[in-house]
Amino acid sequence: MSEEEDIDLLALQRQLDDAFETTRPRRGFEDELWLRIQTRRPFWQRLQDLLAGVVETLREVPAVPAAAVATVLILAIGLGILARSGVHLGVGGASNTTSATAPLSFGSNRAMAPNSFGRLPSVALYPGVPAPHAAGTPFAEDGSALAASPIPSNLYFGPATLSWIGQFPALSAPALVYRYQEPPTVLADQFATSLGAGPGKPIPLTPGYLGSYVAQDFGLSITKSWPAPPREPRFFLTPVGVGPSAGDPQTAATAFLATHSLLPTAPYTVAVVPFTVQGQSANYVRVQYLREFQLPDTSTAFLVGPLGDRYGTEVVFVEGRPYIADGPLPVNLDSASYPLITASQAIQHALASSPSGSQDINPKPVVKLDRVELVYALAVSGAQGFYEPAYLFSGTFQYQGQTMEKRVLVPAIDPSQLNS
Amino acid sequence: VLADRPTFEDLYRDYMGRIYAYVRAQVQTSADAEDITAQVFMNAYKAYARFETRNITPAAWLFRIARNATTDHFRAHGRRERLRRTIERQPVATDDPAGMAEERIQYRALLEHVAVLPERQREAISLRHSGLSFEEVGVLMSCSEDAAKMLYHRALKALRESVREGEA
Repeated sequence: MSEEEDIDLLALQRQLDDAFETTRPRRGFEDELWLRIQTRRPFWQRLQDLLAGVVETLREVPAVPAAAVATVLILAIGLGILARSGVHLGVGGASNTTSATAPLSFGSNRAMAPNSFGRLPSVALYPGVPAPHAAGTPFAEDGSALAASPIPSNLYFGPATLSWIGQFPALSAPALVYRYQEPPTVLADQFATSLGAGPGKPIPLTPGYLGSYVAQDFGLSITKSWPAPPREPRFFLTPVGVGPSAGDPQTAATAFLATHSLLPTAPYTVAVVPFTVQGQSANYVRVQYLREFQLPDTSTAFLVGPLGDRYGTEVVFVEGRPYIADGPLPVNLDSASYPLITASQAIQHALASSPSGSQDINPKPVVKLDRVELVYALAVSGAQGFYEPAYLFSGTFQYQGQTMEKRVLVPAIDPSQLNS
Repeated sequence: VLADRPTFEDLYRDYMGRIYAYVRAQVQTSADAEDITAQVFMNAYKAYARFETRNITPAAWLFRIARNATTDHFRAHGRRERLRRTIERQPVATDDPAGMAEERIQYRALLEHVAVLPERQREAISLRHSGLSFEEVGVLMSCSEDAAKMLYHRALKALRESVREGEA
């Protein structure tokens, strides 16, 4: 081969290098394809990834000692707990809220006579309480339990010396307690049918599921109630395929839920919370429809979960596209009025309360509780669930340069009406 | 072995562009290249749990899937028709204008010459310039490293002749 030919071939090789190096798909294709890959995954795997990511994120947040956050095994069902984690991690941006009111209804409601539900199970916070693996929790395809959700590093549920320095809001007594009966499988089937979904692939090792369904453009799973940490029956809808990237997340989420007839009919406040997931470069945004209960004085009280965070229905967007939606399964609610404790009783109960979590800081922190909010929390007993009013107290203290928040939940129902 | 594996997202981010380029060098439209690239990574995603780095590098593993997906594409879309076009050097359908505007190829003409090379020559060039070693090219093409080198150099000369003919 002549020297000239060699030079020709070398030049051709350089051009080929450049050609392959500069041949790339159109802008946006990479993220679209990644999303398509992700949206083919069943919801529990998506949830597993998100949870694992958040766990990793939390591990990197300087916080209370390991012992204080060691027992962080609230087995998460749904992204509601994630949502709460995200908010308290500070990994999100600003949240904006707007109000919307709708008829108070999960299906049809019936008002009952005062105290007619009898003695009620008591509501409580459940930090660090793992749900048993034996039943009632979602499983990965290999049968292993999903990743656990840790307590956000700025929340403290351990022992503390408490005092009260806040203003107690005017009470609206008595208040209503709402009750649902655990829905049978046929109701889950009807709900799926109403959304246009039919029976799907059975989920292995899934005692916590009411059903799994598929439609042309989404998958749907419905879970049962669970007593501790309590959760109501919930739906999980995962779109299949990739639609166009939406604009404003709140508008897109509302349109997405409305398209699937999943927009909550109960009062709610919308919160838009961007968040990040460790190890993932995509942009995540959570649009939450925080559930509210109507109070007798026409104000409302938010529903709070095992850590005292507000929750409800939500849609998670990845790169501007809906990734997963979950929320309470619409069920009929009965209501009955119950007397509330007085302000002084509520404060006494808060100050005398036992730690709800196993975190431990030495010396025991001194916390001045300065905020209280009437909220609703869920208690599940047998085949019934009860949304009950409660007082959520909170106050902050400094620990190793970080502002920590102590929360105390006190049932607002008179103790004589509660199971001991 | 599993500990040595990159996460699937890392693999995807590192190789998506290269896989696309490899596929694009062999098919006539960006739409086909997108479809095949999507199929490659869907298949890879499903199989990744079983992938072990002991026997093959992640790059070679992905390109094997890409090679199979491209072959399937040709089977499904009329290999005979494509060969006829190749032999007759007839113009082929081009991308839609919007696709062409967005796709980033600076050396479109050169890759069109690559696309009409005999199959094994085309693959040798595409795999080699997608960043694979001759050893990896040999593994994928079921031949030795030396045979892969020889095949590549023959392909390079054939490409040069094709380019010269085109210029003439």
